[in-house]
Amino acid sequence: MLDVFLRIPLFKLYRRFGRPRLLPLNLTLSPSPKCNSRCLTCNIWMKRENELTLEEWDKVLASLGRAPYWFTISGGEPLMYPQVVQLTQSVYEHCRPGVINIPTNGILPNIPENVQRIARACPQSHVIINLSLDGVGEKHDFIRGVPGNFRKFEQCLEQLLSLRRQFNNLTIGIHSVISVFNAEHLDEIIAYADRSGADQFITEIAEPRVELDTVGLPITPSAESYAKAIDHLIAYVESKRFTGIARITEALRVEYYKLVKRILDEQDQVIACYAGWVSAHIYADGTVWPCCVRGDNLGNLRDHNYDFKEIWFGEKIQEVRRSIAAKECHCPLANAAYTSMLHDIKTLARVGAKLLRPGDKIGL
Amino acid sequence: MAFDWLNKFQHRVEKDPDYAAKTLAAYRLGMKAKGSIVGVAIEPAPDCCAAARELPAGKVYHPDQAPLLPLPDCPQGRRCACLYRPVMTYQQ
Repeated sequence: MLDVFLRIPLFKLYRRFGRPRLLPLNLTLSPSPKCNSRCLTCNIWMKRENELTLEEWDKVLASLGRAPYWFTISGGEPLMYPQVVQLTQSVYEHCRPGVINIPTNGILPNIPENVQRIARACPQSHVIINLSLDGVGEKHDFIRGVPGNFRKFEQCLEQLLSLRRQFNNLTIGIHSVISVFNAEHLDEIIAYADRSGADQFITEIAEPRVELDTVGLPITPSAESYAKAIDHLIAYVESKRFTGIARITEALRVEYYKLVKRILDEQDQVIACYAGWVSAHIYADGTVWPCCVRGDNLGNLRDHNYDFKEIWFGEKIQEVRRSIAAKECHCPLANAAYTSMLHDIKTLARVGAKLLRPGDKIGL
Repeated sequence: MAFDWLNKFQHRVEKDPDYAAKTLAAYRLGMKAKGSIVGVAIEPAPDCCAAARELPAGKVYHPDQAPLLPLPDCPQGRRCACLYRPVMTYQQ
């Protein structure tokens, strides 16, 4: 983790001057768009791709070496990908990341078994499994488009929480997408998550993304509706007492929620976006994106001998970086936002001040 | 609309050669698998060709019947900025 903080000033130089050239810290892999959910907020499950094979992923990951600290294995439903355990092992063997984060819908019965195999195979990485919850009871099933999904979610959560006792490196969280379909019910989800026994509760906002084919769809709550909902979550987080590393992560989460409010309100990047420098996304067919919102085709790894560096340090990415730096885009994408926040001095100062403030429940 | 820049941005992106086939296949699968998609609409570009301007505004097509983009003889070829958009139950 110290290594991550040491790289922050270097990434700031990289974004500003193009040197020193660095590989991303934060990488999202989408091995397959296939998914057994039918969410109102996502259309990725309809897509079919000529997916990279495990051997191809292995070559890509070898080209990255130990640079990435944070991996997200996304989808589709990542735990439906037949070789998800082997892919995670390959990530671990080549890159030895600090964190491997995997979201899941909790539907398939073999999820706990696969999570167990992953946690066992990656003992020096912190494995975070975030179960999706977009409503309580039938509201969840309605938004996710799968009857009986909530019941399966609860079974899966119970099994994963039981598994957590066997693995020190395993964190089980609940993740909600706040959309026009559930913004008014967020209190109910917070209350459920609070009594669930999960290690963490996180949210992000439903947003248009090229990846999800949701551009133009009315799924994003209004700035007012989101602010009302998220203020309740901020109040909830600030009412809790956190210890250890959770103090820092919860303080960062509150900053993220406030950042999203500002992005919605101001329709601006608000803080400098580091997608394309610090974070990146590799899609199922081997295409490299700076982020899944824009989905710029930076090049396909199959055309570059599976060498990520050829694309990352190539010519095509330069125009995309110019566009991002010129604030031609803005979005609240959580994955990119958290790494961007780590490079924003004001955000870090606020988090630091909060941790030092006497009597603050997130604080020391 | 929130994040309108993304809509404009996507219109400017050059299309893959299999854009129409791949997008319509996805929507076909989505309808077959009983997702909340009910069809596909064409969102013309502001500077679209004459043929695109003649398409009925807001028409929802079954993916099997949707015109293929770029339209025949579109002078912009793969730079054609018209797009398919899924039409969802909650939009109707």
